[in-house]
Amino acid sequence: MTENSAPSGVGRREFLKILGAGSAATAAIGCSSDRVERLIPYLTQPDETVPGVSTYYASTCRECSVGCGVLMETRDGRTFKLEGNPDHPLNRGALCARGQAAVQGLYNPDRYRGPMIRKDDKLVPATWTEALQLLSQKLGEAQSAGTAGNALFINKHESGSFPVFLDRWLADFGMPAHLSYDSLADHAVLAANRQSYGVSWPSLSFSAAKLIVSIGADFLENWGASVPQQLDFADARAKLEDAPRFVYIGPRRSLTGCNADQWIACKPGSELAIAKALAGGSVESAAEASGVPAATLESLQKELAGAGRSLVLAGGSGAGALDLALAVNALNRQLGNVGTTVLPDQPITSFEGIATDADLRAALERMRAGQVSLLMLRGVNPLFTMPRAARVPEAIRAVPFKVSFSSYPDETSELCDLVLPDHHPIESWGDAQPLAGVISLQQPGMDPVYDTRQTADVLIDLAKGNQRTAARYTAANYMRWLIENFPGGTAAFTAGLQKGITSGSLPRAAAPAHVSNAPQAPAIDDTKGDFYLVVYPSPTLGDGSGANKPWLQELPDPVTKICWQTWIEINQQTARKLGIDSGDILHVETDMGELEAPAYVYMGIQENTVAIAFGQGHTAYGRYAEGVGYNPGNLLPVSFDAASGSLAWTATRAKVTKGTTFAPLVTTEGSARQHGRGIARSIPVDELPHLEMEHEEHDMPGKPDQSYLPGLRSRMAADAMGEVGDSPSRFQKGMYDPEHWSGMAKRRWAMTIDLARCTGCSACVTACYAENNIPTVGAPYQTTHTAFLHGVPGSNILKGREMNWIRLERYWEGGEDGGEFEPRFVPMLCQHCGNAPCEPVCPVYATYHSPDGLNVQVYNRCVGTRYCSNNCPYKVRYFNWFGYGEPARPQYAWPERMNWQLNPDVTVRGKGVMEKCTFCVQRIRESEHRAKAEGREVKPDEFTTACAQACPSKAITFGDAADDEWSVARMAQDRRAYHVFHEQLNTYPAVVYLQKVTHPAPKSAAGA
Amino acid sequence: MTVRRKWAVIPGLFALAAVAVLLSAYQGAATRPDTIITDKGAWGYSAASSPQGRSPEQPIHFPHPTHVQTLGMNCLYCHYSANKSTDPGLPAVSTCMGCHLAIGPKRPAMGDRPAFESAELTKLQQYWNEKKPIPWVRIHHVPDYVNFPHMTHVNAGVTCQTCHGQVQQMTQVYQYASLNMGWCVNCHVGNVNPAWKARYDCSVCHY
Repeated sequence: MTENSAPSGVGRREFLKILGAGSAATAAIGCSSDRVERLIPYLTQPDETVPGVSTYYASTCRECSVGCGVLMETRDGRTFKLEGNPDHPLNRGALCARGQAAVQGLYNPDRYRGPMIRKDDKLVPATWTEALQLLSQKLGEAQSAGTAGNALFINKHESGSFPVFLDRWLADFGMPAHLSYDSLADHAVLAANRQSYGVSWPSLSFSAAKLIVSIGADFLENWGASVPQQLDFADARAKLEDAPRFVYIGPRRSLTGCNADQWIACKPGSELAIAKALAGGSVESAAEASGVPAATLESLQKELAGAGRSLVLAGGSGAGALDLALAVNALNRQLGNVGTTVLPDQPITSFEGIATDADLRAALERMRAGQVSLLMLRGVNPLFTMPRAARVPEAIRAVPFKVSFSSYPDETSELCDLVLPDHHPIESWGDAQPLAGVISLQQPGMDPVYDTRQTADVLIDLAKGNQRTAARYTAANYMRWLIENFPGGTAAFTAGLQKGITSGSLPRAAAPAHVSNAPQAPAIDDTKGDFYLVVYPSPTLGDGSGANKPWLQELPDPVTKICWQTWIEINQQTARKLGIDSGDILHVETDMGELEAPAYVYMGIQENTVAIAFGQGHTAYGRYAEGVGYNPGNLLPVSFDAASGSLAWTATRAKVTKGTTFAPLVTTEGSARQHGRGIARSIPVDELPHLEMEHEEHDMPGKPDQSYLPGLRSRMAADAMGEVGDSPSRFQKGMYDPEHWSGMAKRRWAMTIDLARCTGCSACVTACYAENNIPTVGAPYQTTHTAFLHGVPGSNILKGREMNWIRLERYWEGGEDGGEFEPRFVPMLCQHCGNAPCEPVCPVYATYHSPDGLNVQVYNRCVGTRYCSNNCPYKVRYFNWFGYGEPARPQYAWPERMNWQLNPDVTVRGKGVMEKCTFCVQRIRESEHRAKAEGREVKPDEFTTACAQACPSKAITFGDAADDEWSVARMAQDRRAYHVFHEQLNTYPAVVYLQKVTHPAPKSAAGA
Repeated sequence: MTVRRKWAVIPGLFALAAVAVLLSAYQGAATRPDTIITDKGAWGYSAASSPQGRSPEQPIHFPHPTHVQTLGMNCLYCHYSANKSTDPGLPAVSTCMGCHLAIGPKRPAMGDRPAFESAELTKLQQYWNEKKPIPWVRIHHVPDYVNFPHMTHVNAGVTCQTCHGQVQQMTQVYQYASLNMGWCVNCHVGNVNPAWKARYDCSVCHY
């Protein structure tokens, strides 16, 4: 500094003055809260609605063919949550992840807004008048030219009145009966059942069995009716000592296989030999064909023979699938299972009238040959669900006029000339016949979201407008038609709508004649390649129809915990030999095509076998599906098990080579092993009678003594409440005093999770997303903007930013040396610790323990320090790194109109806020308010959390552990009960886990 | 060397502030047409309660005194779910028309008052005939992260006037109370006379 210099420019005091003036100015401008918000009343109030109180409408889920009952929670004219209908005999209040995600189909931002007509080779929006006129014209032309007999209607298979209505309509127009298509149905099993029992699908009783053997039947996923099967299976396992042992035989240990006590790995295509061996045939030849040690097969054969009541199931697809299913049916009969565990006189009728994959192929052949003049498609996407080798685009383009009733733009509807978008099932009238004698009704929960129309109504309008058919269509719309034709008439229909089900039988469409000229798949060993290729439908995405629902994309695959991606499973020994690690790109090639995806090294797959999940790789299905993953259908030949008409998904071998690059696996998994931490515990059934409480009595959860109920009441918490020491405030606990007039401290909200029941299906995860406005973060438009990972779907998840408040952890036990391994599933959520590590570290007291036992997160106080998440040993706290909840920000998770799904009772969190499981506090408070308004106490088990409600295994129980009348108080006292990390970290969690019970192979039956 | 003080800096900033405030005034409700504002700004959620004293102009100048004081209507006649639900309920247009189908815009002479044509009732009839719901301007608003249950308060005996003021005397409804958290908690912890007994745990309202 020079001698006589004065500071030039702005000096310190000047700077402060300017800063002060500037701040004052900003404050003056920025504090205007003059925003206008409008309150729009009804014009005329509907009778049964009370604003702020949800109305529940009973309906039927249509996400798969089965037809479980749902309750649609509707508020202010919007359905925002689906829950299982407790009165429905099939699902009894449970609902799987795909059913929960149906609302994301309803509000999907990529849905067709209205009709579309192809002009200049592009689909452009049109009015209903134009669109109907066009189709009416085409129908009229078909009638006068006499080409109506060449029309084809392909409908997504459903049970109920619509197939009958549709066939009648088609007949009135001179068109042949429709093709009722379900790409996921197990046609081999259906055909075998019809032959063996006369019904397509007998009920199965898992709880009546002592031994369950599944030969490739993934009954907890896409095989059969997964929700009732899971309910029954979980009930069976909950019998502990009397529970059946479960053996899974297959080339790949699927989710269903991961719930088995024993997995027998076999070569694809050898299942029939194994089934024959189990029936008493040659064990040696089966061992040779399958690669299974003869001793194992012999042991199982003996066990099956001596089990008394057993249940053998057939699944899988490939050459010989029908033979396998028939052999298994014969085996069941031989073992005396028919009438005890296989119940043909109580059939599930959801699959009646279904067409086979071969029927669809035959239709495609006719289209390709120019024999189809008019094609109508509803709810099906054959361009995606059939292998690319089926050349579906060629077949579709050969049809002069194609109409799609699809609600969503997809690969097939993009090729059509006319789109008349159907209502979503949540907006539609209908019915279903899932069980003999039970009719399940379907009604809209709200007005249509977009300018769509129910296809049945469109068909009625077209018939009315056509002079040849008009006379027969007197009903104003499909709802009226349903009522007119309903067994029992209007009275029965109206009464049935209340509960969603009614007894009765609907007329059935005539069973379609099946073709049998489909190209037979060769034996898999006769195909080229050094690896067997197993393609299986994704447990979360199904046949790919779930790919446009972000909840399902974000739901990690239950076995591999990978989401937003396609991976290739490969055996760890094989991987070691080839120098492959998880993430290395593999190149899979068949005669039909090739695919490149990262490897996932998995103990649960045969050596020299690769498995790829089907469902990803869409090219046109909306922003959540396009460009995500790859389609293994491009690798498959068009070959069938000709006898049953089922497409062979496991039909070929492939050449698998290691690629040159690497792609990180988008996984939510931390460590796949517990490293002795005791998170997921299991006990062999023999040791169960000797099980004693592992801990000191006073530490055991659920003891009636107030001091050590789950959650709260730890030494530390006591100190915080002034119980320890000489402080005069020792006796002033305020609201934390059980004698306080508010009575809050009398309650202790707690949860038990029975790991013997939990199958790892992850329905709880999606139910939680639906209930609690949890943002999905992995969509392609939410990717990071840095060069690394830019444009990669799921990049936020790669950075650990997933938001799932409850997650299904899956641990492996054993198998490091290639031997047997045991998968264990643990739902992990905020434990609402009594001595929570997250509570004392929050600098702004945004998280604290409430008197009724909840670890509360107050969003508006949170400043985003993230110390709480840092301190949480369970890592169940999730931070809003971006503005997932803010509409103006690029990572907004609910683009219009997905935000209509948001639960009005739960705050939508903005950027910078921590969130976590709240034990559905909104439901707790709602029940408390309602009880108070009605002048009573909350009844025991009056309500439950979203996860417990959805669980098809009924594994989760929630309630007040301090009150003996609640179920959770009883369950928390179970001898199998344990806490996670409590002994090590003294956290006093309110979540009690009940140990899984395993049933190892009986030692006495082991062969030499 | 003297430093030329930029004396105009601070007054200049204030002038700038004044201009900004004046300009922002033109962005008020008056210039916005009858559009339903769903976007609550860049934050996506309301971060503050509505201000005390605010009295926006409503599409129809509904006079509470006439209906409540003169005609003796109960609050719950229109705001029907205040004792059943978290939401107090806004009367459907059909509730208004229940009487006003008969009591039309052409009011007859009564006593000293000559016959006149009511502009407000004309507006009401117009809304009903055009089948358009009346777009009332919301006055009372608590932030989205607060769950305020009306029925609990109403059923506990808290009068409407306690929080909303003497609405029956307001020719144009204004926000009487500040509705901020301190004001709410004041009552809950018993600092009012008579003292209420209400839970004041955070998780009762903030979830």
